[in-house]
Amino acid sequence: MSETVITVGDRHIREVHREIQAAAEQGGHIVLKDARSRHNLGVALPAGANLHFEGSVGYYCGGLNNGATITVERNAGWGVGEAMASGDITVGGYAGMSCGASMLGGVVHVKGDAGPRCGVAMKGGDIIVEGKIGYLSGFMAHAGRIIALGGADDACADSLWGGEVWVAGPIKSLGVDSKAIEPRPDEVASIEELLRSRGINDASRDWKKIVSGEKLWHFESRDANAWLMI
Amino acid sequence: MADDINPGYQYPFDMPSEEAVAFKDGAMEGKPAGVPASYDEGGSTRWSPEAISEVHALAQLGRYQVRGYNSFNKQLPTFDDLTFVPATMTRLPLEGYRENCETKTILGGGSGLVENPLELDIPIYIGSMSFGALSASAKAALGYGASKVGSMTCTGEGGMLEDEREASDTLVYQMTPSRYMLDLDHLRRADGIEIAVGQGAKPGTGGLLLGMKVSKRVADMRSLPEGVDQRSTVRHPDFLGADDMQVKVEELRLATDYKVPIIVKMGATRPRYDVAIAAKAGADIVVVDGAEGGTGASPELLLNHTGIPIMTAIRAAREALDDCGMSGKVSLVAAGGIRSGVDAAKCLALGADAVMIGNAAMMALGCNTPRYAEDYATLGTSPGACHHCHTGLCPVGIATQDAELEKRMDVAAGAERVARYLTAMTMEVSLLAKSCGKSTVHNLEVEDLRALSLEASAFAGVKLAGIDREFSW
Ligand SMILES: Cc1cc2nc3c(=O)[nH]c(=O)nc-3n(C[C@H](O)[C@H](O)[C@H](O)COP(=O)(O)O)c2cc1C
Ligand code: SF4
Repeated sequence: MSETVITVGDRHIREVHREIQAAAEQGGHIVLKDARSRHNLGVALPAGANLHFEGSVGYYCGGLNNGATITVERNAGWGVGEAMASGDITVGGYAGMSCGASMLGGVVHVKGDAGPRCGVAMKGGDIIVEGKIGYLSGFMAHAGRIIALGGADDACADSLWGGEVWVAGPIKSLGVDSKAIEPRPDEVASIEELLRSRGINDASRDWKKIVSGEKLWHFESRDANAWLMI
Repeated sequence: MADDINPGYQYPFDMPSEEAVAFKDGAMEGKPAGVPASYDEGGSTRWSPEAISEVHALAQLGRYQVRGYNSFNKQLPTFDDLTFVPATMTRLPLEGYRENCETKTILGGGSGLVENPLELDIPIYIGSMSFGALSASAKAALGYGASKVGSMTCTGEGGMLEDEREASDTLVYQMTPSRYMLDLDHLRRADGIEIAVGQGAKPGTGGLLLGMKVSKRVADMRSLPEGVDQRSTVRHPDFLGADDMQVKVEELRLATDYKVPIIVKMGATRPRYDVAIAAKAGADIVVVDGAEGGTGASPELLLNHTGIPIMTAIRAAREALDDCGMSGKVSLVAAGGIRSGVDAAKCLALGADAVMIGNAAMMALGCNTPRYAEDYATLGTSPGACHHCHTGLCPVGIATQDAELEKRMDVAAGAERVARYLTAMTMEVSLLAKSCGKSTVHNLEVEDLRALSLEASAFAGVKLAGIDREFSW
């Protein structure tokens, strides 16, 4: 497979972005050097693109992804993979706040910990965090799965509409209107299968599956007539 | 009821029946407690029928009231407090029927960064009203009507409706904090991207769509369970302050290859600072929506008691852009309570580059028309007084997801009415502009206005009629 090397440095992000997009058009593997934790690297990539960032990246790396495969050697800033429709993003180190925010599909895989509001407003796909997920993770998520192997901070799965948060390890506290339920063996098997496919072989854990308590789905009064009283 | 305020508490007696809580004992026929129409006007200026019924309603419901439409606050100044002073001896008017007055309006072209600024033939467009709040037929009718006169529409919350994309030659895609259905493909099909920070009807809070309107189609587009009372987040999921928003704006530009303008929409609260900050964050267009602004559903207290009037917000916003050298670089759009071309012209004179309408466009479609009287009656209202968009039982098929009601929204007729209404509004604007001697509607200025009340003069910095001085301290 051909390999293109792009040096990020301190050039204007638009110039870097154009080079990345052009290289993605060509196909082949793209290596980004000297990324300097710059924001908006590798956003809006097409299916088939294949990128590796050396070092760390800033905000929104892989944001609005449309099918690309991205690996980040070290850490990622806020909103890695936000609004991704499909694709596969792996962060070698830590991910900052709002990892996978409002993503619709694909996979974000973080090898370290993820910051607060991981998977906030997510609408599909899977977020796998080998470490711990920060407070308010899964806040108002709609669908999809967040899978954390190293526990969860406060207010885990707060105000879920739908979707699932899977946690192995300690959960500091559950968020509003979420409940931990005992997963079925076939569900556990599918999670562990997914993890194995990502190279996590010792996937067997004491899993908690957290889902919506469905109390916030409705205002307290469901009587339609009550809405007419105004 | 909000039973979670003090969850452990138990009365030393049984829960009363809902009948008893609802003041049903000894109730007068046809006069439900908690509805203003059930009360006579007494002598107290504080305890009006509305104020008394409000207490009775809150006491029954244990929650605040929610409704659609717009503010009922009687203290808001109106555009009628301003009058135009056309050319007389000091200025020359244009010939109304002979000379041309340009109405073309370009938004978002000032920075030079954007390849395709929004080019409208008229200075008026239709604001973000979600599919969900409005029926698909209403959205399509607005789109076709706007397209016919070279204007545009905006998606609002809830994703891009195919019917609207097809109907609207120019369509702005709104990115709300809930980010329903937002992905690259949809962004790239938009002619502009609007980051919603807030709206005038309910600044500081997120979207609200009651379960009656969360139909299968609406739910699927929003990735929600069908029928839930959707309350959206108010903060964006992946940025907090203005510095982060700047990064987000850059991301959107990269994703759309700098082709389309980025709009920031906000409710009018502290426009002098908020508009400057939005400009700093890189917005090409700032939309300021006054406290008068319409909504599909909002806690009523926010409608009536938050935000500032658009007439004063426009001046503050324009001064903010002037102060930081951004006038001409960033376009300013005003919205909230605009009823006619006259109101629109006043906004332009106060400093807006264009205006946006919501409720007025719904009225052109047929909102509050005297038809289907019995269905207004079911809602406890009547044509002219309806504000029941939140119920999803719109008698004329505009603010509903009910298939039967929606049939009353004739797309073709609605589109034509919207087109004619926008045309008439534009003629009103240019008639006023010509009488003030302007060859383009964008040359309308504050000097073309005089205030008829101290409030309007003080709020908008407009000279008082006759005395020709602004009210000042
Ligand atoms: C039915 C309805 C739905 C609306 N939906 C949205 C929305 O989804 N997002 C938004 O930013 N504003 C929304 N608005 C506010 C409008 O975009 C606009 O700011 C407001 O209607 C302007 O005030 P006006 O109705 O007095 O013209 C909605 C307004 C109405 C009437
Ligand atoms: S007629 Fe329909 S759109 Fe108009 S206020 Fe009533 S419910 Fe809302």
